[in-house]
Amino acid sequence: MLIKRWVCGVFIGAIALAVTPSFKSSAQRAGEARTIKPAIRRITESQYRRTIADIFGPGIKINARFEPEKREEGLLAIGSAELSLTSSGFEQYFALAISISDQALGEKQRATSVPCKPASPNQADDVCARRFIESYGERLFRRPLTESETLARLKTASGGADRSGDFYAGLKLALTSLLAAPEFLFRVETAEPDPANSGQFRLDGYTKASRVSFLLWDSGPDLELLATARSGAIHTDASLRQQLARMISSPRFEDGVRAFFTDFMQLDGFENLVKDPAIYPKFNQTVSDSAREQTLKTIIDLLVRKRRDYRDIFTSNETFINRPLAAVYRIPFASNNEWAPYTFSPSSERSGILTQVSFLSLFAHPGTSSPTKRGIKVLEIFLGEPTPEPPANVDFSKVRDSSQGTVRGRLLDHMNNKGCAGCHRRTDPPGLALEHFDGLGQLRTTENGMRIDVSAELDGVKFEGAQGLSALLRDDPRVPASLVRNVYAYGIGRKTEERDEAFLSDQTKAFANNGYRLPDLMAQIASSPDFFRVVVPDGVQRASSNGRGRIGAPSKIRRKLK
Amino acid sequence: MNLDLDRRSFLRGMLNGAAVCVGLPFLDRYLNGNGTALANGAMLPVRFGTYFWGLGLTDTPTGGTRWVPSKTGRDYEIMPELESLKPVKDKVSVFSGFRAIGDGRPNLVHWSGHASILSGVAPAATGRFDGSSFDTRIADAIGTSTRFKALDIDASMSRQPISYSTRTGNTFATPETTPLALYTRLFGAGFQDPNSDNWKPDPSIMLRQSVLSAVKDQRQALTAGVGKADQIKLDQYFTSLRDMENQLAIQLQKPEKCASCTPPAAPKEAPRSASVDAVRANTKAMAKLLAMGLACNQTKVFNFVHTSGTSETYIAGQSKIYHQITHDEPIDAKLGYQPETSKLASLVMEALGDFLVELDAIKEGEGTVLDNSLIMAFSDTGYAKIHSIENIPMFLAGRAGGRHKAGQHIHVTGESVTRVSLTAMQLAGAPAGEFGSGTMKTARPITEVIA
Repeated sequence: MLIKRWVCGVFIGAIALAVTPSFKSSAQRAGEARTIKPAIRRITESQYRRTIADIFGPGIKINARFEPEKREEGLLAIGSAELSLTSSGFEQYFALAISISDQALGEKQRATSVPCKPASPNQADDVCARRFIESYGERLFRRPLTESETLARLKTASGGADRSGDFYAGLKLALTSLLAAPEFLFRVETAEPDPANSGQFRLDGYTKASRVSFLLWDSGPDLELLATARSGAIHTDASLRQQLARMISSPRFEDGVRAFFTDFMQLDGFENLVKDPAIYPKFNQTVSDSAREQTLKTIIDLLVRKRRDYRDIFTSNETFINRPLAAVYRIPFASNNEWAPYTFSPSSERSGILTQVSFLSLFAHPGTSSPTKRGIKVLEIFLGEPTPEPPANVDFSKVRDSSQGTVRGRLLDHMNNKGCAGCHRRTDPPGLALEHFDGLGQLRTTENGMRIDVSAELDGVKFEGAQGLSALLRDDPRVPASLVRNVYAYGIGRKTEERDEAFLSDQTKAFANNGYRLPDLMAQIASSPDFFRVVVPDGVQRASSNGRGRIGAPSKIRRKLK
Repeated sequence: MNLDLDRRSFLRGMLNGAAVCVGLPFLDRYLNGNGTALANGAMLPVRFGTYFWGLGLTDTPTGGTRWVPSKTGRDYEIMPELESLKPVKDKVSVFSGFRAIGDGRPNLVHWSGHASILSGVAPAATGRFDGSSFDTRIADAIGTSTRFKALDIDASMSRQPISYSTRTGNTFATPETTPLALYTRLFGAGFQDPNSDNWKPDPSIMLRQSVLSAVKDQRQALTAGVGKADQIKLDQYFTSLRDMENQLAIQLQKPEKCASCTPPAAPKEAPRSASVDAVRANTKAMAKLLAMGLACNQTKVFNFVHTSGTSETYIAGQSKIYHQITHDEPIDAKLGYQPETSKLASLVMEALGDFLVELDAIKEGEGTVLDNSLIMAFSDTGYAKIHSIENIPMFLAGRAGGRHKAGQHIHVTGESVTRVSLTAMQLAGAPAGEFGSGTMKTARPITEVIA
């Protein structure tokens, strides 16, 4: 059909059009043989939502169930990099693609969405369709479409227009096929031969642009960043730094920081958090949503707007509350706004984000607190020390029934059990220090009528209660080191390896020298060559200076003993 | 990892264009089966499902079993924790004494047991299987003539949606987690009432097909230069895309009438709660919808999760969750078992009873939906207190259209769980001669239950 229309046009022009694609694509094939794809990572729900809002405006409704993510090595960014799309997931994305196309190209919005007017609204128009497909394709795929990708969509658009007698109906189908494509739903990272190092690969400009953009904005690159990829300027240090500075000073940087901390602090757990209403009548979906939002607001305020020392999140009592949270914290809420700044008094026993409802309720059981869960998460998230799985064949017979007394008594039984003690001796103390907060994060001083003892000891240091724990964390060198490691792993989408250690240690030092400021840390990591280092995956031919490739050596990725 | 694309495409080729409500008698044994047949001689469709619950049943090393009957064969006695299966006892076979065998791999708590049952190999790490789960093989064999190749349902109200169905070993199916979501998937947009008299093909479906072919055209270019792991990911993506294409193709065919199909009303959204009662109610509501989805021929294969391996369900007002209780509760010296844990196990089994009764409630031909189905119900552990993967309770429920000689108790000593899995595959109509690897590799189905 397409060919026919060309033939109907100016003859010479038609030949040029018909020939160019095949000529180009064979050139491309030759080029493709030299490029490799080091990683393919599914985009997250928030990345999907932000990308659609960036490209089509915030008015587009996105109503779908997204594929669940998976956490590995503490991060969804690592676990989800291993995931594909299930049948039911594809069904959802496909329905969503249809819905977004309907909205973006509906009668009202099409004038702003489409950069041209078709010759007739009742017929196919390849020129206008091509402009639309190329410009939206570049934003969605985060790189220009290949000619063959464009032609496939042009065919869909003209076929649809012919069948329905509606140019826009055809265009909707073309857009739907861009939105349902793996090139949009996955970040396909591409590496090309490195001109500066023969036989080596470097990430191509568009892949670099995406890495930077997803780290800083949790979304795909904007037009300016894409332009630096197209010109190749992104490969120069000056241009890259200029872009990083621009992006960090943009309000959209807050989106990126929110996304990182949601992943790092595992705040996604709020989506399905349940509590027993018989025990915690104040808990509901609003409290759950508010708790997460409180922590994110606190972090954005301290680390982005006020550019404070990262370690202050453990000790600063400056935060924000809303009415539902005020009830849980048992404090007055007098503001007319939805959220109001609030500073906890020193006597409140609150101290930084560990004592916010989010951390305390997320890492607890439906009907009780859990010093073990909380302790494990303090160690894993903030100190970067994961706890191994419990042994299978543990003898629990000495563990007492604990409907009486405090949880400390029951955990002491674990400590006396050889199979358990190794881990529980480490995991429980930070959690025991937080025991003045129940499973919802409400302050209490007794359990089953007995006073709760919140003294604890970690790595030989004795401390008391939440404030003691927070003070300890603030000065622990493992805390900034864990953040650095996680920002890096989050950005590159894979777990760190032994060969990353020197880089991480340098970055941690630089982080300290910059006064532990998060925006500087992110800029520093995103401007380093290690952030763009190519890891050739198993099963891919490495580049080779003599032209003969060899099969990639088995992955050196070390499986950390968890 | 066995994606077996050729076989699947072959089967799809065979099934395309088949009448929808009436199963295709493409395997000889269906022709000779002694189950309920339609008046015209064609067999009613056989469905297959898995049903999972966490934390096993009570069978203490000190001998206090609460679920293993002392008699084998047809006259097995109903044990206390199996009380709820009484109404469907003749349609349920009980398997005891089967175990997961690690071949030197560690027992990964609340993971190795069901991973072994489903993938045939003890996994190397928690969170993934070392192969595909066998339900996907059955779905490939019998699931391509319905709108959904398989449906995944999670009634557990867990923190994460739970599914143990996987093609890659890494990506697990995305389940429906509420009755409303399940209803919408089955009977919302896209549902075509098979008994409607004015069926017309929807022209927008044809247009959608062209959308998918544009995506598919780029497959070769996309996979160039990709590593092994990413290749598997992309293969799965394109498998999912093909399932969608199949769905569209089926929606363009006039559905066969199904006498037992009466589309239900939309359920109301219930508040989220993970109490034992709430999860049981959720299971019952979703079982009812699923049963009608089967009767309306929307799918032939499903995976149902009642509770997860580390079940967070609790009895309302009680501070400890079920999982904690299994570990903490001491064995009552007089009784020889943990009374509270056993009570919870009975409650969990009541949900399985509800589930099977819902499938049995829909008449189909001379029997019921349950008679024309095979459900393999199983858990992650045997005796949960010590994370035992010995004697994991397993059941086969439903007569599989007469193929399953149901209502028996089969007892072995320490044989591999994969024997039950293989039996299920063969009863459900998957072309499988053997299953599992290492010590768990088996070519021996349990012939006593195969007609």
